[in-house]
Amino acid sequence: MRILLVEDDSLVADAIVRGLSAEGYAVDRTAAAEPVSGLMEGTHYDLAIIDLGLPGEDGFALVRRLRRNGNALPLLIVTARDGLNDRVSALDLGADDYLVKPFALPELAARCRALIRRASAATSNELTIGQLRIDLAGRRALNPAGQVLELTRREWSILECLAHHSGRVVSKERLIQAIAGWDEDISSNAIEVHVSRLRGKLEGAATVRGIRGLGYRLEDI
Amino acid sequence: MLSYLLAPLSLLLVIGVAIDHQVIVNPIYSAFDRSLSRAALAIAAHIRRTPDGQLDIPVPDRPLAPLRSNAHEQFFYRVSTLDGRTVAGTADLPLVAAEKNSKGLDYADVTYRGTALRLVSYRTTEAGEPLVVTAGEIPFRRDRALHRMDVSFGINNSIQMLLMLSTALLGINIALRPLRRLREQIVGRAPQALSPLSTAQVPAEVRPLVDSLNTLLVSVRDSSLAQQHFLANAAHQLRTPLTGLKAQLEVLGQEASGSPLQARITQLHSGIDRLAHTANQLLALARAEPSAHLASHFTRVELHPLIAEVISSSLDRALQRDIDLGAECQPVQVHGVYWLLRETLLNLLDNAIRHTPVGGQITLRCGTEAGQPFLEVDDSGPGIPLAERERVRERFYHGAGSDGDSCGLGLSIVDEAARAHGAHFSILDSHGRHGARMRIDFPLPGDDTPPAARPVVKN
Repeated sequence: MRILLVEDDSLVADAIVRGLSAEGYAVDRTAAAEPVSGLMEGTHYDLAIIDLGLPGEDGFALVRRLRRNGNALPLLIVTARDGLNDRVSALDLGADDYLVKPFALPELAARCRALIRRASAATSNELTIGQLRIDLAGRRALNPAGQVLELTRREWSILECLAHHSGRVVSKERLIQAIAGWDEDISSNAIEVHVSRLRGKLEGAATVRGIRGLGYRLEDI
Repeated sequence: MLSYLLAPLSLLLVIGVAIDHQVIVNPIYSAFDRSLSRAALAIAAHIRRTPDGQLDIPVPDRPLAPLRSNAHEQFFYRVSTLDGRTVAGTADLPLVAAEKNSKGLDYADVTYRGTALRLVSYRTTEAGEPLVVTAGEIPFRRDRALHRMDVSFGINNSIQMLLMLSTALLGINIALRPLRRLREQIVGRAPQALSPLSTAQVPAEVRPLVDSLNTLLVSVRDSSLAQQHFLANAAHQLRTPLTGLKAQLEVLGQEASGSPLQARITQLHSGIDRLAHTANQLLALARAEPSAHLASHFTRVELHPLIAEVISSSLDRALQRDIDLGAECQPVQVHGVYWLLRETLLNLLDNAIRHTPVGGQITLRCGTEAGQPFLEVDDSGPGIPLAERERVRERFYHGAGSDGDSCGLGLSIVDEAARAHGAHFSILDSHGRHGARMRIDFPLPGDDTPPAARPVVKN
């Protein structure tokens, strides 16, 4: 996995390069937006991390330029600006995620992982949450031993919904929408029953944490 | 104001009456003098010489009836020759020295038998013999007339003065009305509103005052904006190097894993974290201060998704400490600034996680009570003693229970943000057995004007 880092502050850039390299990524770094296109022509990247406050062409302009040229590379914005407007406009321009400085390296690594996973799921139709492999096209989940888990239609829908948002809390209402057909009326108690059964079946591969009053989160073990 | 007017007006009243008295005293006295002289003339007219050459006055001691109108009045007369021999009347009545230019009538004030007397003498000639007729009266009547005049002048002037005073007060009252309106306009503003006052209904007299007030307001607003801008810039400038330091230390910590250096790196790391936290809080505080530009940030904010987002972002920290973090939400929305509410809730939750022991419970709530939306963060920590509840809102305050890791700005940000929303921030006891419950009560919905433009209800 190769990551392109566009960051002008060498202290930050150096730490990110070291940190992500330790996680097993290959990281190329440039201090300005201008050379990015040239770099991308010669190399295949899985993700670009872009600082908004770049000298010369800034991060917003770079994101806009890349998307306008039809580049679908996952883009993670890092910035010292945390205004909602900055965040909204960066995401509107086509960035995939947004991280405000100062952040912790593990947080950055987790975001990178999630973005790369999401992008690869779109192409390979497969998601990996910890020890759990989810085959979206085949609508099946495999445990670490490679065995297919026996899931009901509703349990599968719940797992699929949670996996698409892994690491985030998914509300009960959203799960109800995910499993309910047009003519079905599913109570929140029913969701609890389905989740508890799913939790049992996932044992050893992943877990579903219930958040009181909010919903559920799929976590690796 | 009345007291300022009353003293000079009373003085004016006294002076006015005194002047009136001076003006009226001469005409009254001369009128009474004329009447006295008529009495003397009448007596002179009655003098007859008897055939034997003696002078005869048919009015003896008893004065003429019209001259004695009143019991208080005493009338005296004396007819004497030039050499002082009394022909008739009161023999010891003093005489009046003749004036050079007098036309036969002379006046004088004397004291006779211990009382004041007004005298007139009339020089006449009866059968070739010059005679002096002297008439005198106690000046009771003229004094009484003068006194009555004075009293009526006094009453008259007082009434005039009172009318003037009330007209003046009414006039002043009307003239001050625009100032009072201005005052209401100023009092009705939110304490932090620094937008210029409206000059639409201001009369010309007050216009310069409003203009200079507006100039002042604009300069205060500019300097407050400049200060906020500076703080925001400073915090931004701090963030990048802090990120670098933090990330470098994390890498260093991994590389030094297992070596004795690691403990020191961890110490450094927590120091950097505190610094980063403080920079963030300062930035939030600078932006929480309500000012004119905030009004455009107000939108409808759903509280339930906000709580979900805040819980999601803090969930891992809570789970690390085995804290049961949850929510009890009813759908409700408020008119507010999204990022400010998020910052507020993050601070309250951060605070709760810091103070809740391992294995504890934190519940975030939202809903409405008596129509008013509210937000609550309820923890099972030690709670905050009543005596400290006001002080913990102060900036940089560190209570007895604080761990030294916080910068003491969290609750001031909450307080500031609540005020920017026209909401009320209170610190209460937890619904559980122990702990603190931080609560924000929002104003009744339906009022979409930003709080900066709406009068603040003091409680």
